[in-house]
Amino acid sequence: MIEFRDVHKWFGELHVLKGINLKVDPAEVLVVCGPSGSGKSTLIRCINRLEPIQKGALIVDTMKVHESKTNMTRLRAEIGFVFQQFNLYPHMTALQNVTLAPMKVRKTAKKEAEDQGRYVLEKVGLGDKLHQYPAQLSGGQQQRVAIARGLCMRPKIMLFDEPTSALDPEMINEVLEVMRNLAREGMTMIVVTHEMGFAREVAHRVAFMDFGELMEIAPPREFFAHPKSERTKLFLSKILTH
Amino acid sequence: MWSFYIEQLIHSLPFFLKGLWMTIAVSGLSLLAGTAIGFIWGILRASRSRFVKPLIGAWVDVVRGTPFLVQVFIIFFLLPEFGIQLEAFPAAVIALTNLAACFICEIVAAGIQAVPSGQMEAATSTGLNALQQLRYVILPQSMRIILPPLVGQFVLLIKDSSVVSAIGVMDVTRVGWLTVQRVPQGLLVFGLVAVLYFVICYPLIRISNSMEKRMSAGVTLNKM
Ligand SMILES: Nc1ncnc2c1ncn2[C@@H]1O[C@H](COP(=O)(O)OP(=O)(O)OP(=O)(O)O)[C@@H](O)[C@H]1O
Ligand SMILES: [Mg+2]
Repeated sequence: MIEFRDVHKWFGELHVLKGINLKVDPAEVLVVCGPSGSGKSTLIRCINRLEPIQKGALIVDTMKVHESKTNMTRLRAEIGFVFQQFNLYPHMTALQNVTLAPMKVRKTAKKEAEDQGRYVLEKVGLGDKLHQYPAQLSGGQQQRVAIARGLCMRPKIMLFDEPTSALDPEMINEVLEVMRNLAREGMTMIVVTHEMGFAREVAHRVAFMDFGELMEIAPPREFFAHPKSERTKLFLSKILTH
Repeated sequence: MWSFYIEQLIHSLPFFLKGLWMTIAVSGLSLLAGTAIGFIWGILRASRSRFVKPLIGAWVDVVRGTPFLVQVFIIFFLLPEFGIQLEAFPAAVIALTNLAACFICEIVAAGIQAVPSGQMEAATSTGLNALQQLRYVILPQSMRIILPPLVGQFVLLIKDSSVVSAIGVMDVTRVGWLTVQRVPQGLLVFGLVAVLYFVICYPLIRISNSMEKRMSAGVTLNKM
């Protein structure tokens, strides 16, 4: 479904991704963790070319993201992206936020888009917040609208960039719950997060990223019980004591 | 003595109203065209285009860095040297349109850049194309930032339009110049000229102020 082949990415002089090799299967849930600045966000932002890569091959759902002639608009419609800061459209209600792309990109009729929007917002537990503006919602509610916005495009892949890091602790669970359900339904997901409980329970594999490299990637049980590299051990000891 | 002058002034009132109409025509046309062009330039200037962006930037700098009077003279007296002969009225409208476009371009570009980059990223990631992003996500948010200074700029441009009297456009200012030669009461004549400009500008000033107030109130209500 997603395949990185020796992918390199530079920001000017800064070498941010140093030869990434990675294959994610359909319906797989991959959790990516690692210290700040290690390139986790960049890794998943390359998948829908929010960031272009400079070397290597990146194939998503048979489309060659590394080739500049690839029609990204079409591919992006198949990939939901959830940001740390939600990035909801502040001038639109929750329902308008989730129906914009279906109407404009998929050309879904308004009525149909709204029916679907209502259904998806209900699914993330916000059936009573359809006509609220983002500013009137809590952080956890906003992030759930953001997830719904992605889901309304009926994506094949959902990418999450630290979806709970900007949330107050008591709101983290409501968002993780939505993500758990998604995983259960067989969505292909890459989740950048430090919620190790979520990783243990939901992920098929967990990857540790450091200095622009995937240091280690393994099923959660193995990953947590027997981390191979010293840096993974060090990192885990730091975040698991939290 | 005063009453005599006032009477003369009242006699030339139709003349003034014609001038007022000319001022409105020159500024109205220029603001309309200048706003349209200014938005296009501003959008391009805020875009990532490598080619057009510096070109517009350089042009805006040139226009902002030279006196408007000189620009008007160049269009009216210099273009004929290159075979482009213009009447005073179109020359004035072209000069003021260009000036308006340059100032408005800067306001629009600043308004677009003030929208957090995450908005564009979110829109991009749902598959909206560049035009759709602009139309549905970026511009509606920028408009709140753009509108108050835009209307404020209209006021400045209407006042700047007085400069075109220098090439013979019969606007309020020129009517003032001609009248003062018959009615040697500068204070009275140009007092009237000032009042006429004020009558056009004041409503715009009020609109701009109230928009600014509404916007700063809206910011707290509608935080990101
Ligand atoms: N647009 C950019 N321009 C230049 N450098 C960037 C840009 N985005 C990220 N970087 C740099 O690239 C490196 C990797 O950034 P990235 O955001 O991918 O890290 P991260 O692992 O997501 O970190 P965090 O946990 O803090 O989110 C960092 O050193 C960062 O400063
Ligand atoms: Mg990050």
